[in-house]
Amino acid sequence: MCCNAQLTEKDLVPQSYDPAFLDAIKGMRFFDPHVHMTSRTTDDYQAMADAGVVAIIEPAFWLGQPRTGIDTFRDYFSSLIGWERFRSSQFGIKHYCTIGLNSKEANNEKLSEQVMEILPLFIYKEGVVGVGEIGFDDQTALEEKYYRAQLQLAKEAGLPVQIHTPHRDKKQGTTRSMDIAIEMGLDPGMVIVDHNNEETVKEVLDRGFWAAFTIYPFTKMGNERMVDIVKQYGTERIMVNSAADWGISDPLAVPKTAALMLERGISKEDIEMVTYRNAITAFAQSGQINVADFERPAEIDQSLKFNGSTVLRGGQQPRPNKQSTIIR
Amino acid sequence: MGYAYEAPGTAAVLAEIIQQQVPEKGKQWIAGQLEAWQTKGTLQSFNIAFTAAPRFLGRDEISVPPAAREALLPRSVDGFTADRLFRTWWLLQLPVADQTTYVQAVENLFLAGEMYELTALYGALPFLAFPQAWKLRTAEGIRSNIGSVLEAIMVRNPYPAQYLDEPAWNQLVMKAFFTDKPVHLISGLDQRANPELARILRDFSRERRAAARPVPPMLWRLVGPFIDKDNFEDLERAWFSEVHAEREAAALACHLSTYAPARQLLETRAGMAAEIQQQQLTWDTVAARVNGL
Repeated sequence: MCCNAQLTEKDLVPQSYDPAFLDAIKGMRFFDPHVHMTSRTTDDYQAMADAGVVAIIEPAFWLGQPRTGIDTFRDYFSSLIGWERFRSSQFGIKHYCTIGLNSKEANNEKLSEQVMEILPLFIYKEGVVGVGEIGFDDQTALEEKYYRAQLQLAKEAGLPVQIHTPHRDKKQGTTRSMDIAIEMGLDPGMVIVDHNNEETVKEVLDRGFWAAFTIYPFTKMGNERMVDIVKQYGTERIMVNSAADWGISDPLAVPKTAALMLERGISKEDIEMVTYRNAITAFAQSGQINVADFERPAEIDQSLKFNGSTVLRGGQQPRPNKQSTIIR
Repeated sequence: MGYAYEAPGTAAVLAEIIQQQVPEKGKQWIAGQLEAWQTKGTLQSFNIAFTAAPRFLGRDEISVPPAAREALLPRSVDGFTADRLFRTWWLLQLPVADQTTYVQAVENLFLAGEMYELTALYGALPFLAFPQAWKLRTAEGIRSNIGSVLEAIMVRNPYPAQYLDEPAWNQLVMKAFFTDKPVHLISGLDQRANPELARILRDFSRERRAAARPVPPMLWRLVGPFIDKDNFEDLERAWFSEVHAEREAAALACHLSTYAPARQLLETRAGMAAEIQQQQLTWDTVAARVNGL
């Protein structure tokens, strides 16, 4: 890329065809508190920005295959607070992350010990809004060991915890995750229990935890079911995320769910709670979220200004015309 | 010998700016950190203060008083945010008695640095002790694709011009062109101009023309002193360009040159030659035009 000074305002205007749902939610702001941007493309960032996503949280997770050494863990954590943070800023989206040892890889004890050693280096960094995503996968003894160790770390650092609940034996695993958090002395108000469904939500809310729902095709929640959940349980301590990653998932899950809620008669105020405000309230307990950073988009962060170009406001990227056969 | 410049005086100037501009709460935090560091002396307490600074100091841009700016030269903290200024000053609190220990401590900050920490660290290169130890680190930073990191190395940073070898220096300048950085703010730009860089930039101008993309006018500043029969035609293309800034840059390049055809070319536009003489046309005015200022 070179010579951006030649670009005009026109180059920054979205050129893709706007699907109908974008009209419905025009002017609304969204906060996606769980999305793995490392696995996503720049097209996704542009689409998210166009749909009103102003800030995101990227939890540290499993990359699809197990890591074999500590250095790849270190580089991954580094990329969440470095490169990915910068990449996101180029699209006007504020990027936060949670840092932790995921449950799958906790089963490699030798490596887990080394990861535990470097975690303190990262969880105190600016923009790290929690320890996550941690919890159970197979619900083994080793998973429990490192889940407990990380809860302790979060407690000492005063950081929220983002809990991944297991796919298999989910209800039992969710209950067990909460039992252990309480036993370890964590305040449920500092714990976000993720990937809930109709079977787990009641207990999570009753015990005072935050209940996050992942709108993810085929394997987790669909957004029609999400509409019904909000109608039944209201908006208190409920938040929606996409958990978009390297699987078949949708980085626009939060704005799309907002559009569907609107269509099905949920008020804008309630939608704002579950797609924006609640996530901020929960994770701002880290002391690391300043809403001014994304509520005043024109002033996102002047210290990040890409260069002397006056055209690219807030470091925005130029947009190629995706509908054209010609690439310039 | 650790510092290659008068570090205590510089630290005092930085401390004074901090005292003047950081709110009371932030100053108390700094005093607490300094005391912990001086009494405990553990690297952990040093690292925690370095990392936690934005939480307590924020990221508002500080303004540098003219006297301080003067005192810091050739170093510059213009445009630094409060956290970044503190981090720069804080690095000057590291003991320099043992080079290995010092270098390892700073290198570890680089290894675990998040985006803003990296910006602060690379921007602090000219403030660090043992300047010879950071050459590879600087070359590594130039490979970064994080805009703010690149800018920290390139803009008003005297370290690269003073210490980088020629291939690394040339990469820095090329990367600045490729990533649209304000090339005219690179410290030592004219002093480090060299024939190899002029050749690379000449080739680059040809690539850009072949692709029907604009040629950054500022590159002629680095070709100008090395105009010869091999690149004169390229200069002529800029001279006859439709883009005003390119024509101005070509004129300035001719002015830098001792190559007779280039001098003759400049004489054909007496108006421009006069503007150059009267310093109404300079590389800074070209930069301002390019950046639409």
